[in-house]
Amino acid sequence: MSEMWINMGPQHPMTHGLWNLRVKIDGEVIVDVDPELGYLHRGIEKISEDRHYNEVVTLMDRTCYVAGLAWEHLYIIASEKALHIEPPERAEYLRVMCEEFQRLGSHIMWFSAFVVDIGLLTPLLYGMRDRDLVLDLFQSYTGARMTYEYMRVGGVRNDLPPGFTDRARTVLDWLMARFDEYDKLTLGSDIFHKRCDNLGILKANDCIAHGVTGPMLRSAGVKRDLRKDRPYAAYDRVEFDVAGADSADVTGRYLVRMEEMRQSVRILRQVLDWLDRNPGPVMARELPRWLGAPYAPVGREGYLLKRNYPKGVGFSSIEEPHGEAQAYIVNEGGEHPYRVKLKSPVFSNISAARQYLVGYRVADIPPIMGSVDVCIGESDR
Amino acid sequence: MSSATLYSVSYDLVHAILAAIGSVLPYPGNVWITNPDLITGLAVLVFGAILLVATMLNTILLIWWERKLLGRFMDRRAAMHVGFAGLLQNFADGFKLFHKSTVKPREADTLGYLSGPTAYMVASLLIFGILPISSGWNSGALPLTLLLALAVFSFAPLFIFVSAWSSNNKYSLMGGMRSAAQMIAYEVPLLLAVVAVVIVAGSFDLTTIVYEQQNYWFWGPLFLALIVFVAAMLAEMERIPFDLPEAEAELVEGWNTEYGGMLFAFFMFTDYLRALIGSILVVLLFLGGWTMPSWVPAAATSFPLAGIVWLMVKTYIVFALFVWVRASLPRVRTDQLLRVGWNRMIPLALLSIFLAAVLVTVRCLPAFGCIPSLGT
Repeated sequence: MSEMWINMGPQHPMTHGLWNLRVKIDGEVIVDVDPELGYLHRGIEKISEDRHYNEVVTLMDRTCYVAGLAWEHLYIIASEKALHIEPPERAEYLRVMCEEFQRLGSHIMWFSAFVVDIGLLTPLLYGMRDRDLVLDLFQSYTGARMTYEYMRVGGVRNDLPPGFTDRARTVLDWLMARFDEYDKLTLGSDIFHKRCDNLGILKANDCIAHGVTGPMLRSAGVKRDLRKDRPYAAYDRVEFDVAGADSADVTGRYLVRMEEMRQSVRILRQVLDWLDRNPGPVMARELPRWLGAPYAPVGREGYLLKRNYPKGVGFSSIEEPHGEAQAYIVNEGGEHPYRVKLKSPVFSNISAARQYLVGYRVADIPPIMGSVDVCIGESDR
Repeated sequence: MSSATLYSVSYDLVHAILAAIGSVLPYPGNVWITNPDLITGLAVLVFGAILLVATMLNTILLIWWERKLLGRFMDRRAAMHVGFAGLLQNFADGFKLFHKSTVKPREADTLGYLSGPTAYMVASLLIFGILPISSGWNSGALPLTLLLALAVFSFAPLFIFVSAWSSNNKYSLMGGMRSAAQMIAYEVPLLLAVVAVVIVAGSFDLTTIVYEQQNYWFWGPLFLALIVFVAAMLAEMERIPFDLPEAEAELVEGWNTEYGGMLFAFFMFTDYLRALIGSILVVLLFLGGWTMPSWVPAAATSFPLAGIVWLMVKTYIVFALFVWVRASLPRVRTDQLLRVGWNRMIPLALLSIFLAAVLVTVRCLPAFGCIPSLGT
């Protein structure tokens, strides 16, 4: 069989989203690849210019539908810098809690999708079952299971319901026991190692050259984690280790993500304890009047009128479940951001596809792309 | 064991009906309708119809069994709503597929596209005319039933490749080529493992092989052959971990990507048909078929259709093991699969033949106990 191009996508079980991987194959060997993105472009950055600062949060939920709260957090940090607003400490802890629960949910979702890529069906349902518990927690304090709209400029929308921390701790205990079960089902199998060891190798140099971040970078031996290197919110006040591996292959990425989930549980336990001990306000008191409307509670004093509000720019970068996400917001005065620029880690990670796909076989594409953890919503925006 | 066979039952049935009709017909009609040739011809048809219905019902039950077991392995309840515990769900699914229209890709080759799935199913159904389900079920006392069954069983890659190639889809073609490569690679260890059984049993006739196991099932002394046979059978049935030809993550749905409606149902049905055949073959060759060991009380072995019930119970247990494997193993890669097939399975199969030959020569192994009927 001579060389031929095949389209893996946009409707293909490998893609986990709406994108197209054009693959040139020689028999079963990959000769060239050409990822095509943009099928899910919704113009979120442009729409944001026409929305109230707090209304943009709803759009951030929809950039990545499995890590909505992380993107809310990213946007909120940048817009608070642009608007010169300081959130109360409890809100910062709540945001860390949101992001870590979101990391758990996103990584479990990744695990479920990844095991199907190598033909394991049972852990898929185990993962979905356990992710439901995390979603239940989200529902109990944000009211939604998927698009949360929880964070606000200057804080978060509401405090936790009574009894939440105890329920959350029960879920964390359950999840910690399940992670060992996941490992037994995957790492315990010789076939898993046959499929995933030394597969999709992307060395540290290539990662850095292509801007690849997140678990892919950490699995290549570079222990870079923005939560540690450039702490934001309350991450400088919690203890955790940066997960890492040296193999730079699919197994390495698996190990990094599983370790990250365990570290997330560790962070969450500290955060839940802190939240139990330190009640307080969850919204900044001195918000401009126009920013309070229409949803958020308005501070009693220090109203600032729109025309008097200082201009500014805000940049934030957070360790999102898929990698380093960045946001840049320009505030030219007024209720709407002048410009919102988002940088998605998945976009960079997919862009390096030629580096880690060429030379392997067609059957290796699903595990490799699965280990990248593709979320097209955020790469197309 | 009762002496009545399925064929004699259907012959008596046809004879009784035709005689009853003949008794009310006037002269030329009543002689013509009780003509022995006509009775024989109709009896064969009735025999075939009973066999077909029994096979189909069993296959559908097998699908239900897999769905329920997989559900339990995956911590869910599987089909629950149609019929008791979802027993009728497969009929509902089949009916849904039945009244869907057949959408043929414009560039597909009509003859190959339509005949591939049909021939695939017919060839697999044919095996049930050969397999002795019980002492009275085999259609004829052929001396080479085992060879014939395995020969018909190995038709499948041809039909799969025909339907894959004629659907004019790159994924189908790749799936078809993988399927052909895999089935041909695993045909060899499968047959070699069977040779070990044949050496010990001294016959190619499945009925004889089963009766040779009356006192001692072959799975003990021929454990290696059983392992090779089951692994090769998993590959022949294209189930996880060897389901590469229809690896949905990379090849969409493999060789049946372009099929929908009833033609897809043919493929799905035949996959389970072949799973049923594979499980029955494991039971017939290694687990004593429809016979029970002598320690089972006579009351349990002498009720009507006892043999069929015993065989089916064993078959479903064997299939449950296949489902268990499916629920807990990932999928291997094509090159790894072929390497395992040629480099590991064939030497192991040859070793099992050697062990079988030693067993027949020595006749009595202290570790396994004596096999009295050997060496006749």
